[in-house]
Amino acid sequence: MSLSLATSNPPPPEMAMQPGANASVTPFPVKCQIKNVSFYYGKFHALKNVSLSLHDRRVTAFIGPSGCGKSTLLRILNRIYELYPNQTATGEVLVDGQNILAPGLDLNLVRAKIGMVFQKPTPFPMSIHDNIAFGIRLYERLPKSELDDRIEHALRRAALWDEVKDKLRQSGLGLSGGQQQRLCIARAIAVQPEILLLDEPASALDPISTQRIEELIAELKSDYCIAIVTHNMQQAARSSDYTAFMYLGELVEFDETEKIFTTPREKRTEDYITGRFG
Amino acid sequence: MAAEHIIKSYDEELGRLNKTIVEMGGLAESQLAAAIDAVSKRDSELAAQVVEGDAKVDELERETDNLAVRILALRQPMARDLREIFAALKISSDLERICDYAANVAKRSIALAQTPPIQPVYALPRMGTLALQLVKDVIDAYVERDAEKAMAVWRGDEELDEMYSSLFREFLTYMMEDPRNIGPCTHLLFMAKNIERIGDHATNIAENLYYLVHGTPLTEIRPKGDKSSLEVVAPDRAAAR
Repeated sequence: MSLSLATSNPPPPEMAMQPGANASVTPFPVKCQIKNVSFYYGKFHALKNVSLSLHDRRVTAFIGPSGCGKSTLLRILNRIYELYPNQTATGEVLVDGQNILAPGLDLNLVRAKIGMVFQKPTPFPMSIHDNIAFGIRLYERLPKSELDDRIEHALRRAALWDEVKDKLRQSGLGLSGGQQQRLCIARAIAVQPEILLLDEPASALDPISTQRIEELIAELKSDYCIAIVTHNMQQAARSSDYTAFMYLGELVEFDETEKIFTTPREKRTEDYITGRFG
Repeated sequence: MAAEHIIKSYDEELGRLNKTIVEMGGLAESQLAAAIDAVSKRDSELAAQVVEGDAKVDELERETDNLAVRILALRQPMARDLREIFAALKISSDLERICDYAANVAKRSIALAQTPPIQPVYALPRMGTLALQLVKDVIDAYVERDAEKAMAVWRGDEELDEMYSSLFREFLTYMMEDPRNIGPCTHLLFMAKNIERIGDHATNIAENLYYLVHGTPLTEIRPKGDKSSLEVVAPDRAAAR
């Protein structure tokens, strides 16, 4: 080994799409390839030519200060942004090779494939059972027994079943914050998506509920491609395989989580994760 | 050091940790210097002071441990900050060992001063001075976070090893020449070994500093000059030399 500095020059932009070449994490196939994505709120250029890949059955965390574009990027991945006027995305988001930003796609199908959970738990004002049945009914007509099985399965996957199995007819709003969030995750996975987008899923929860959600993420990643936006650096470090650091709409660094939190390549990344920013 | 943290008390804690290590380094230097002095001047009083002074180093090591554990628990350091803590913990235990060896040299010098002076005693301070320089340089390198300077120490230890090897042979020869030399020479041999080990700890510090600065461990094989463990001595062969 030479004694030269371990950090080399910044890699060419195309390299930024793939985490470090000396990946020690077993390579999982790319599920979602984000290519040159830019985003505008009216004239404001919120995302600048972002390119990276999300791997199947891996967790990718997005970190960065408020307004860096990480939530915006997540909102693009299932085209939630289209619910609002004057918002445009350019570039491509290839899910299994299909560009989901292309016009003419059935948005409901895109969103069934790509589930999303938000910062604040958003249970519908209906029973626990119906909260989950609601999503399923949008896409499928299932016989009651099959529907109930699906609901039980989703609640079990979301580690909520044991806590709610005796009160499925009670309102979802009566659950605690952490339970509501797991209900939302159950609702998202009940429609059998392939990608799960979690936008600060634990930031409104107490530490115990937060750990339950993190354990759930670890559990769910055996089946899904997961992207998580979080302001909690320790949470990103604990629960993700890859981490993307974003700043002012740019993807600054993307690598294996261990690399980002021990020896990041970019000074801006190091300053941010060590609390030296701004 | 890198730019300041947003939380100022974090910088203060890291600063205290750094200061404790530097203080330990200063003590390691002065303890070793005094031990060497005690040997060459046959000054048992000074030697006793060195032996006593070792407690202060142990105290500083405990302080380092407490500070480091506190920062780990309360700040969850990342990246370079984490390496600062990790390196501080390892470096402080190397410094503590260096001081132990210095104290042992001092302790033996008290016994040595009770026997008539013999010639090879004068070779020992030369070795001690070189070890002292390595310790000084590696502490300077730590203060300046200068990995290049640390690497010079890392390479410089080979010379200390070679000095030890040649002293080893010299002591053996003296012992074979006159059995009355066996007592003082055995002490001298242990002292030389202690000083040789001090050099090894200086290289450990250099390696940890390299890791602290670069974020990757130094994997190169260190040049070693200590061949004494391969030495075979038989009286008839020595006589034939």
